[in-house]
Amino acid sequence: MSGTAPATYSPSPTMQNKKRAPIFTDVDWVRPDGRGFRQCRGAFLRTGAANAASGSAYAEFGNTKVIVSVFGPRESKKAMMYSDIGRLNCNVSYTTFSTPIRGQGSDNKEFSSMLHKALEGAIILDSFPKTTVDVFALVLESGGSDLPVVVSCASLALADAGIMMYDVVASVSVSCLGKNLVIDPITEEESYQDGSMMITCMPSRNEVTQLTVTGEWSTPKIHEAMELCLDACSKLGDIMRSCLKEAASASQE
Amino acid sequence: MMGSANSGDLSSEMEVDAFRRLFPLRFHERHLLESIRPDARMLGKARDTTLALGAVASADGSALAKIGCTTMLAAIKMEVMTPTAESPDMGCIAIDFHMPPICSPTVRPGRPAEAAPVVSKQLSDTILSSGMINLKDLSLVRGKASWMAYLDIYCLDADGALFDAALLSAVAAFSNLQIPIVALNDDGRVVVVSEENEGGKLKKEPVNKEKRKLKLSSIPFSLTCILHKNYILADPTAEEESIMETLVTVVLNLSGQLVSLYKPGGQFLAYTSAIQDCMALTRQRVKELKKILDEAICDMEMD
Amino acid sequence: MVGLSVGEKHFIQGGIAQDLRSDGRKRLTYRHIQVETGVIPQADGSARVKMGATDVIGSVKAELGKPNPLQPDKGKVSLYVDCSPTAAPMFEGRGGEELSTELSATLQRCLLGGKNGAGAGIDLSSLSIVEGKVCWDLYIDCLVVSSDGNLLDALGAAIKAALSNTGIPKVQVAAAVSSDGQPEVDVSDEEFLQFDTSGVPVIVTLTKVGRHYIVDATSEEESQMSSAVSVSINREGRICGLTKRGGAGLDPSIVLDMISVAKHVSEQLINKLDSEIAAAEACEEESGHG
Repeated sequence: MSGTAPATYSPSPTMQNKKRAPIFTDVDWVRPDGRGFRQCRGAFLRTGAANAASGSAYAEFGNTKVIVSVFGPRESKKAMMYSDIGRLNCNVSYTTFSTPIRGQGSDNKEFSSMLHKALEGAIILDSFPKTTVDVFALVLESGGSDLPVVVSCASLALADAGIMMYDVVASVSVSCLGKNLVIDPITEEESYQDGSMMITCMPSRNEVTQLTVTGEWSTPKIHEAMELCLDACSKLGDIMRSCLKEAASASQE
Repeated sequence: MMGSANSGDLSSEMEVDAFRRLFPLRFHERHLLESIRPDARMLGKARDTTLALGAVASADGSALAKIGCTTMLAAIKMEVMTPTAESPDMGCIAIDFHMPPICSPTVRPGRPAEAAPVVSKQLSDTILSSGMINLKDLSLVRGKASWMAYLDIYCLDADGALFDAALLSAVAAFSNLQIPIVALNDDGRVVVVSEENEGGKLKKEPVNKEKRKLKLSSIPFSLTCILHKNYILADPTAEEESIMETLVTVVLNLSGQLVSLYKPGGQFLAYTSAIQDCMALTRQRVKELKKILDEAICDMEMD
Repeated sequence: MVGLSVGEKHFIQGGIAQDLRSDGRKRLTYRHIQVETGVIPQADGSARVKMGATDVIGSVKAELGKPNPLQPDKGKVSLYVDCSPTAAPMFEGRGGEELSTELSATLQRCLLGGKNGAGAGIDLSSLSIVEGKVCWDLYIDCLVVSSDGNLLDALGAAIKAALSNTGIPKVQVAAAVSSDGQPEVDVSDEEFLQFDTSGVPVIVTLTKVGRHYIVDATSEEESQMSSAVSVSINREGRICGLTKRGGAGLDPSIVLDMISVAKHVSEQLINKLDSEIAAAEACEEESGHG
């Protein structure tokens, strides 16, 4: 059947007719989901989402739903050279139905490498020499701020797998819309944004493991956005830690 | 968990674990003698099964099915196509089964799992031949436009009986399907009529006002069993599947008719009586699954 | 991969700590930058930038295309970096792919602005010809010929130089619209519009070795880094993109300090690059006419 699949198209209205210039500069502008500018979406986090893996976690931030499995430490690929520190292998992929228009569900190479960079500084790679830890993420539904959710969820999964880390990695992004900074943007806000900043950090060590900025920013604005992100990261870090504690106490019973 | 595996010479927990790893077949056969399985199930008993409908908001219909640890997420996206000349009043269903690397330690990115295309083919054969969906219901404008239903099933956790869980999630996703109301626009393209742009486009008459839900007739359900010597183990886990390799999958519809039967080789040949036993187990299972599906639909309507 | 002995590592780290690097530079001094424009005749614009032993080529090709329906009044730019196997043995086969993807993604982030095009170094609306129908598609392709560290800054400079070398043909739009709704365009092969590159930012990468940061690190120095921050900054001193590399975490205050240092360095780099580009253009003109 798939061999002779005819050309199809989605009947949902494309952005074309939605081309409205939102008045983000307006003071009274409200976010599409009614949140305050500095209010994150409610986060639902659970470890142990997939039994086949050494560790796993599921994260749901609004409509963004992500599942991450961690395998290993296990034997590195045969072709790999000897390494006295462990390797980290990351992969992020999307399901075909994660986006409003049906996609191809392929790997996201850029996100995979960003995830790698966000995590490698937090993992004690010396603790598993010669072996590889695989971190695989699947975005079940994309609802904005996908990469930060993937990063936070991956660090929970690593903790669930018992991989040694200096600290959990929490990640939050902000979008710059006109004069406003909005935290934890949804897809709609991301598509209109003038700029974005994403921070991944280890809250209790106060260390930034990864930082990306796009769009044009003045220095004071960067300061403001960073403060906003770091503050939200430390709160998210607390939530992540309590999720791990809950899981640990539940397994003890 | 090991409590039921107690048998004289294996006293301590550690030794049981070692025995399980070193002599998996003997470990399992030992259990079979006592008519019990390592996870304390009876031989003919399936694992706990749960269903949640509408798990993915970005899809037109979706469901999450769990049989024991095996987890499947199925979602349907409706797109529009031009029907072929031979069947101008029929839609189409494209079914794909994915095993992403998260589901099992044996799957690595870039190298698709061997089992995925096999299950994919079985699923589409079963669903299309079962007559569950009348493809004519997917027609929009005869000869001009009809629906293409893309059903994608993702295995989130692989712990045996993949086909059963995948079929259950697929059926549930179809029962959760809400077909969007669409109208023909001036360019001859089909577009969604939503509340937002209703004002400007009121003159466009929706072409499928009455057909928001698909009518599912004779829904198929399945049960996979392991044949080992003269034992029949229903709903195997991944461990059992890897040790005892003769599988039989029976698919029956709600009226008890046989939709399909797979016995892809394996070490043991099956007597017809064994097949009949599998069918009897499946008949039982179909009733259970029907109840689970009805409850899930009920729960969904309550919300 | 750079193989260094313990002694060599100490030498590099010690030198950086004392503000005297192995090649005699200070921490915030660039290597000599050499720019050559018009190196690829079949491209619409091209430039070759050498920073010490790092050697990269940037080329720009403009083609007529259809604008993205989401942004009908804008042209499109695609950016791709290729790491030639001649530059390093590790780029052979698929080895360079990972680095290529990373460099391409970073350059896109630094030069092409946010999702709706704000803060872009290249003014996308200047690439529009007929709204929603025809626009210019810019294909920016970069090649790493030889790699001795600081690829990102060199690539950024090469793109900037290639863009200022780019002439986009003038286009006449015929008044009559053909039957299929696609307007007829006439591309002039004599008149060219100079591309405005004043808004194109430069990329400054600060590499942190020990407690200090250095600019324009060689690959030997890069092998000793704990982390690096690449900041793209335009003439107005505004930040147009930022990426962190390297595993080790950084204190937020250090990140902010690095940004302000990068800003300071960028002013000199922009001026230096502008004069080098102007010199290269003059040189090319001379040889072209002579």
